[in-house]
Amino acid sequence: MARTRSTKPSTAASATDSDSTKSKSTIALVSHAGEAPKVFILPSTATSGARIVTLPNPRSSQPSRYLACPETGIYEFTKIATPKSVPRSWLIEAAPASNGAETGNQGANPSAQVTMGSELFVATAIDPLFLVLPALADAQPSKGSDEVKRLFLSSDDHLDKLPQESSHLSEIMRWDTTRRLVESRMGAICDTVEAGDESMFRLNEKKLVDAIFQKAKRMSESGLPPSMEEKFVKKVLQAPMMHRVVRTGESQLSSNSDVGSGSSTPQTDLATSQSTISTTETSDTAVSQASTAATSVAEEPAEENFASALQASPEVVEQQRLKVAFEFICSSYVAPVLADKLQKSFSGAGGLKDFSLLNDYIASLEKLRSETMAVRAQDYGRKRNQDELDDEARMEKKRKLEEEKKKKASESRGVRDLKKVNTSGMKKLSHFFQKK
Amino acid sequence: MLEARLEQASILKKVVDAIKDLVQDCNFDCNDSGIALQAMDNSHVALVSMMLKAEGFSPYRCDRNIALGVNLTSLTKVLRAAQGEDMLTIKAEDAPDVLNLVFESSENDRISEYDLKLMDIDQEHLGIPETEYAATITMPAAEFRRICTDLAAMSESVGIEASKDGVKFSCNGDIGNGSVTLRSHTNIDKPDLNVDIELTEPVSLTFSLKYLVNFCKAAALSNQVKICLSSEVPLLVEYNLSGSSYLRFYLAPKIGDEE
Repeated sequence: MARTRSTKPSTAASATDSDSTKSKSTIALVSHAGEAPKVFILPSTATSGARIVTLPNPRSSQPSRYLACPETGIYEFTKIATPKSVPRSWLIEAAPASNGAETGNQGANPSAQVTMGSELFVATAIDPLFLVLPALADAQPSKGSDEVKRLFLSSDDHLDKLPQESSHLSEIMRWDTTRRLVESRMGAICDTVEAGDESMFRLNEKKLVDAIFQKAKRMSESGLPPSMEEKFVKKVLQAPMMHRVVRTGESQLSSNSDVGSGSSTPQTDLATSQSTISTTETSDTAVSQASTAATSVAEEPAEENFASALQASPEVVEQQRLKVAFEFICSSYVAPVLADKLQKSFSGAGGLKDFSLLNDYIASLEKLRSETMAVRAQDYGRKRNQDELDDEARMEKKRKLEEEKKKKASESRGVRDLKKVNTSGMKKLSHFFQKK
Repeated sequence: MLEARLEQASILKKVVDAIKDLVQDCNFDCNDSGIALQAMDNSHVALVSMMLKAEGFSPYRCDRNIALGVNLTSLTKVLRAAQGEDMLTIKAEDAPDVLNLVFESSENDRISEYDLKLMDIDQEHLGIPETEYAATITMPAAEFRRICTDLAAMSESVGIEASKDGVKFSCNGDIGNGSVTLRSHTNIDKPDLNVDIELTEPVSLTFSLKYLVNFCKAAALSNQVKICLSSEVPLLVEYNLSGSSYLRFYLAPKIGDEE
């Protein structure tokens, strides 16, 4: 209210106002040189001391960007972008409150801005244990045995093993809370020994699997994202549709033949006893009865088949979810070598969780699928009798001949003649020139 | 989108005529610098490389690299529709199914338009290095064609021997033998008839005449032909088109098989 009153009476002020809006729009459309500004969503818990830092990525060890907050921990960035084929951009406008403050400034700063990059970066908390995991797991197996010999080392000694190149790890480790956080997370997956006033850490793979297992459990219990659920859970556990369809077709076939035999008797009745109208009437009704019976028969088994299809029990679905969650965590945050090992100890025999239900289900599913394929192949076989096969072969031959003819027509005489040229002693040109 | 106009449709016609007896299908690779073609014959002993520079067209427009897979026999059929002094405009979309060719006659306002179906062709490209040849012979294209056809009547292969005395084409066949020798020669009135031999060291190589006769079909494109030889590397036969456009043929020599 106050604002409108102060600007309206003085024409000069309103003039400048309209001027400023004009200039705003022109400024906003000026193209930016260099990289487009990026849009971030930062956690509200992060304090103003938070900084974007470069740390080695736990999977690839390549330097990547993270948000480190001295109070609340470390956040990773997830890039959300539209595909290249659908170009988007951001129109960013300052909050209305600051806009009001700016009108006094004669619109020196444009309050709206268009950025070219359509990406949105969302910062979400990452467990620091993944960041330090490469350092902890970094040990060569000694020769002759699979056992990896790991030493108890202080956290700093461990962290020195991470790639130092353009890494801000040592800087953020100077923050007390961060150091405490990292070390407590290290404690969760390591055996620890107190040596003087310092604790020494050594990776315990069992603890690590357990920690990741707990994460996977939490992830699967709260429900996987719909796209993951669809692709990795539903699709994998789905029984083949073909099976049901084939069975429905067969039952329909048999019911149809029933109709045939049922209706044939009244028809013969009709032919023999034409004299009485009443008999034909009854036979007619018999036909209609038979047909209605047939339709009802055809419907029933179809429903039955849908119900009888192999259905994954809730336990199986839950186990599959858990497995997918574990695999997802391993494939996003753990180095490939270690991830393989973890998965083995997770889902292999004697692992943390018993997957026998799921494995049994998948085995029977496999069997069902191969059976369906066999049925389908048989179906084809039944439809074609020998005559058709012969016909097919003849057609095939004819087609081939025609194709050859066509090919010959698309070949010039010169090309045909060159085929007869004696090229002995001539090396191929790829011998002289390199392939690109 | 490709759009290129040639003042003379006959240029493309002659180029295609020259290579259609060597290769069956090939890709015309179009980019902003022009239209290029590289293809090998079925036996992979000969290679044709063509470059039609963008300057040779007016106008020339090609926004994106496009490969036009063409059957040359089919293209010949379409190009046969071109009359003497027709102008030719070729057009294609970015991911084309067809190549559009328009012939315009300036004499009688006749416009004919054809769409040629394209095909997907997998072709391997060879990187051809710049080579310093031991001998470079420039001579009238008709003369080279004459020598090749004359000798092809006697034998399958020709020995090309370049020395400081000149260049000698010789053959040895069932009915006898023959040879043609050329020396450097300058004709002031008709520079097209010049024979120029540049030699850094003597060379002697044997080539299949059938292939050389095939190459000579390009003689209609240019008055002069350049023949480059070095021992143990393919022969280069080059016809210069207008500007810096060219049509080059490479042929592997016959080695160690001297009957």
